[in-house]
Amino acid sequence: MTGLRAWLRPLVALLVSSLFFLPVYLVLVNVFKHGSAIVSNPVGLPIPPTWDNIHSVLSRPDHLFWYGLINSAEVTAISMMLVTAVSAMLGHYLARSAGVAAKVTMVTLLCGLMVPPAVILTPITEVLRALGLMSTVPGLIVAYVGYYVPFGVLVFAGFVKTIPRELEEAAELDGAGPFRVFWQVVFPLMRPASASVLIFLGVWIWNDFLNPLIILGPATGTTVTVGIYRAIGEHQADFGTVFALMFLATLPILVFYLAFQKHFVKGLTGGATKG
Amino acid sequence: MGPKRYPRPPRRARSRDKLSRFAVFAAPGLLAYFALVLVPIGIAIAYSLTNKDPFNPPTRWVGLDNLTSLPSDDEFLQALKNTTVIAGIVTLVTNAGGLALAVLLDRRGWFYNALRSVFFIPVVLSAVVVSVIWQTILVDDGLLNSMLRQLGMGNPPGWLSDPSLALYTVSWVIAWQGLGFCVVVYLAGLQSIPKELYEAAAIDGCGPVMRFCHVTWPMLAPAVTINTVMSLIGGFKAYDQVQVLTNGGPGPGTTSTLAFQVIQTAFTGNHIGYASAMAAVMLAMVATISVIALRLLQKREVSS
Repeated sequence: MTGLRAWLRPLVALLVSSLFFLPVYLVLVNVFKHGSAIVSNPVGLPIPPTWDNIHSVLSRPDHLFWYGLINSAEVTAISMMLVTAVSAMLGHYLARSAGVAAKVTMVTLLCGLMVPPAVILTPITEVLRALGLMSTVPGLIVAYVGYYVPFGVLVFAGFVKTIPRELEEAAELDGAGPFRVFWQVVFPLMRPASASVLIFLGVWIWNDFLNPLIILGPATGTTVTVGIYRAIGEHQADFGTVFALMFLATLPILVFYLAFQKHFVKGLTGGATKG
Repeated sequence: MGPKRYPRPPRRARSRDKLSRFAVFAAPGLLAYFALVLVPIGIAIAYSLTNKDPFNPPTRWVGLDNLTSLPSDDEFLQALKNTTVIAGIVTLVTNAGGLALAVLLDRRGWFYNALRSVFFIPVVLSAVVVSVIWQTILVDDGLLNSMLRQLGMGNPPGWLSDPSLALYTVSWVIAWQGLGFCVVVYLAGLQSIPKELYEAAAIDGCGPVMRFCHVTWPMLAPAVTINTVMSLIGGFKAYDQVQVLTNGGPGPGTTSTLAFQVIQTAFTGNHIGYASAMAAVMLAMVATISVIALRLLQKREVSS
């Protein structure tokens, strides 16, 4: 009985996982196959592999992939860093201030966590138009900063409570101004919080579809994620190229995620275990 | 006058200090949030009381006309029903599946670690990528149906083209992507349960099922709260998958969600006033659902 159970669990786990993973596997193997091989034998391994699909995405005459990649990298990197800096300062400020005003501000910010992007997108385009930032990369970045500040504040304000106040007071007595106290004493201590904020934002912003679709529009080029959507219209039948584009568009964020995997899962499960 | 004047300058200096602290540390974040979340919410509510439509000026106040015509708008009601179905299915599938998988994978070693990563990969992919993957599998002459035909099924189902099936297909794709999130949260919950509780229950004569009901399930309450609220809100916001997989179809609005309906009405139909009324209703619903779900589930956490 125990012998049976001992191999039953890994076997069931392996079977279920393989079935679950099948769609991703299909993309991975078919990136390296010719169109005819994809249709005749979609599940088989690509032997011998072909680089034609990858090559045709990289050398498109309209540079859809490269422009998208540059836009995505720029938007994601700058938004991530801005949200982290701005919400770390605000989270620390609010966690350290007593009084009703700070509490009300905190609750107002937390309410922002549940606002669906679709609800505020039309007015956001008007605000951006008034600021002269509609259809620009800085406009998209500003929209992300506003939208993700509540998430950052939630994480940082929670983390500040684990930092002893005496450290800050000691630095102040040594003559450091508030700016130096924050960036040289507090911020380095909040590294775990910064790591989870950066990783979550990186994945969310890289993968976002609706905001770049509407805010960047067709004029300024687009991000890789929107680029995939635009490309499926053109090559409906050409699975190989679409798969290659998705593979290349996902590779950067997947590598980024794998490099910082530990922080991602830690951030995600923080609330699940503290009871 | 002299003695009175003395303490004032430092106090003024202190309040100036406080102000500059606020300006440097709090103002940038608050300003961004105010200008790009709070002001837009205000604008949306204001527009919901008008007939704003850039191609049909002039814009007038119409009071609650938009809101009162929503209950008799079939497209809106359909979107509301679809959103509820999606949110319900996604919440059920990801929680039941996530818990079962977490119990299955709750073992040490590289083998189970690798399998956990397998379930988490879709969480890191964009909804667009996930939708395109499933689209190539589920379209009428896609991979699944050509396989079913080879197995002898003459007329396989139109997963995305049959109006009575497409909504469930969309829900499935959303649930498939979110499953890994629930698995990870439930695994963390399982691993935080002290082993002594299981030993004590076993000594008291509890079998595996009783141990699950009396130890595991109550101890998992916080994980259930997180997963339920996240799946509900995630299902309620569903947009990307609808646009990529079905574009709201097949047929008129059979898979349209509230988010999809709001964006279509605003950016394709240009009925900004009416779309804003829908958006305001959607915001109120998400807020109500989140608050109720949190209250109910946290009550269970306290009592258990």
